[in-house]
Amino acid sequence: MRDVAVIGAGMIEFGELYEQSTDDMAEAAFLNALDDVDYGISPDEIDAGWLGTSNIAGDANSGLGLAHPTGQFEIPIMRVENACATGSSAFRAAVEAVRAGSADVALVLGVEKMHDSAEGLIANAALDQVWRGRGVTMPAFFGMRATRHMHEFGTTREQIAEVSVKNHENGSKYPYAHYQFTCDVEDVVQSPQVTYPLQLYDCCPVTDGAAATIIASEDVADNYTDDPIWAAGSGLSTDSLLRGNDSALVGFEATTQAANQAYDQANIGPEDIDVAEVHDCFTITELITYEDLGFCEKGEGGQFVEEGTVHLDGEKPVNPSGGLLAKGHPIGATGVAQINEIYEQLRGEAGAVQVGNDPQYGLQHNIGIGRNATGSVSCVNVLSRER
Amino acid sequence: MHEPPHWRDRPQNERLLARECRTCGYVSFPEHRRICKRCQDEVEWDEVRLQERGTVRSYVVQNRLPDEFETPLPLAVLDMPQETDGEPARVYGLFTETEPDDIEIGMVADADLRQLFDINGLPVHSFKFKLPRGER
Repeated sequence: MRDVAVIGAGMIEFGELYEQSTDDMAEAAFLNALDDVDYGISPDEIDAGWLGTSNIAGDANSGLGLAHPTGQFEIPIMRVENACATGSSAFRAAVEAVRAGSADVALVLGVEKMHDSAEGLIANAALDQVWRGRGVTMPAFFGMRATRHMHEFGTTREQIAEVSVKNHENGSKYPYAHYQFTCDVEDVVQSPQVTYPLQLYDCCPVTDGAAATIIASEDVADNYTDDPIWAAGSGLSTDSLLRGNDSALVGFEATTQAANQAYDQANIGPEDIDVAEVHDCFTITELITYEDLGFCEKGEGGQFVEEGTVHLDGEKPVNPSGGLLAKGHPIGATGVAQINEIYEQLRGEAGAVQVGNDPQYGLQHNIGIGRNATGSVSCVNVLSRER
Repeated sequence: MHEPPHWRDRPQNERLLARECRTCGYVSFPEHRRICKRCQDEVEWDEVRLQERGTVRSYVVQNRLPDEFETPLPLAVLDMPQETDGEPARVYGLFTETEPDDIEIGMVADADLRQLFDINGLPVHSFKFKLPRGER
């Protein structure tokens, strides 16, 4: 098996992009990724493509969603959908194919159009899910974990809010973030209630966006850069609350499983991770993810964020980009953008949000839900500065 | 259209019928297939009935929902014991006739057959939860 490196990354500013179509966004992200390759790349050097999208706007239900905006015809392209882990799953699939030798240079493109009507397309999908899921909405699914985590471990409302404060602080310094404001704990707990115990500032916004990553095998990576970032490990797993596992009431078991697979493949442990971009669709998700990834002990997530360990200048910075809470969550683009952010961090090119601990290993994580909000899927990718 | 899933789920929704795995005791509800989610194997199942009184394991109170729903709307994940011995089933349940402040983890709640909503004029019946009579 060959080693695989990220050699280029591009994205667009996330936001409410009514004036842009799915193809407009994908094209811009692709062009930015081409521009990012140190020694340049010709589009015809790309062997294969993976498109990550949930296709909410209905413009990308096959590989054509990648070929049309990028001109990448006549090569194999797969569309990947894996709930909110769509982008990270597309990256994982591309890495595995290049590792196995079926392509030398591959494009991973994540794109999602979440806004094309006043309510947002996601609102229509949510209505349908509400019926089928007996009234279980996204904030409810995650809020259940918050209520139980507070009950079981004494986690406070203020500790949960600290995640939002941190990520908005980081997002205010990150040029591609949807929201650029800062807030304090008081603002979070005073914001309108969505689903007790979660308030508006505990929830990520509805955001359009696209991101593109170019990867290459060890055989050709040197042609494109002297500073490749290596795909060191990856994991993917699924679980369901309805399996009756009590630990699933306060955690996302699939994350622990995916993380262990990724750590094993990279031959490292959670203590070796220097920077992480994790799934914070809601504040509680990130707090629980510290525990699921092994960054702290079960039940200590609240204390972990309160002590500042996960801040930009902390020992284990999490979501320097502002995370989904500030940056937004265009489903297919989210994971690809996170990969790009870790790539920038490991190359020392993250600008105002560059972490200061000379990062060697970075982790990217998504969690997705499905089956009437009872199941979960998790994908974890580890990138490394050294091969 | 969601009519077919509704018809398939009627024994579970309207009669609280579950299946218990003969090998490991896992209770499948509302699903009832040949493969057990815990054994991960094709197993024998016994049909079991669930009690109408369950225990709240966690909950939320939904305040922002489509117009079709009255808010604030409490929603919980509950364990519903079998009528005889064995493990409980874990279910999601909407609450009705219940003040949000009255809900807490560990409390018991009773399942009551209600019209959940209608799809194109077709009423869909299932259970909702409420505080036991005498505690309201």
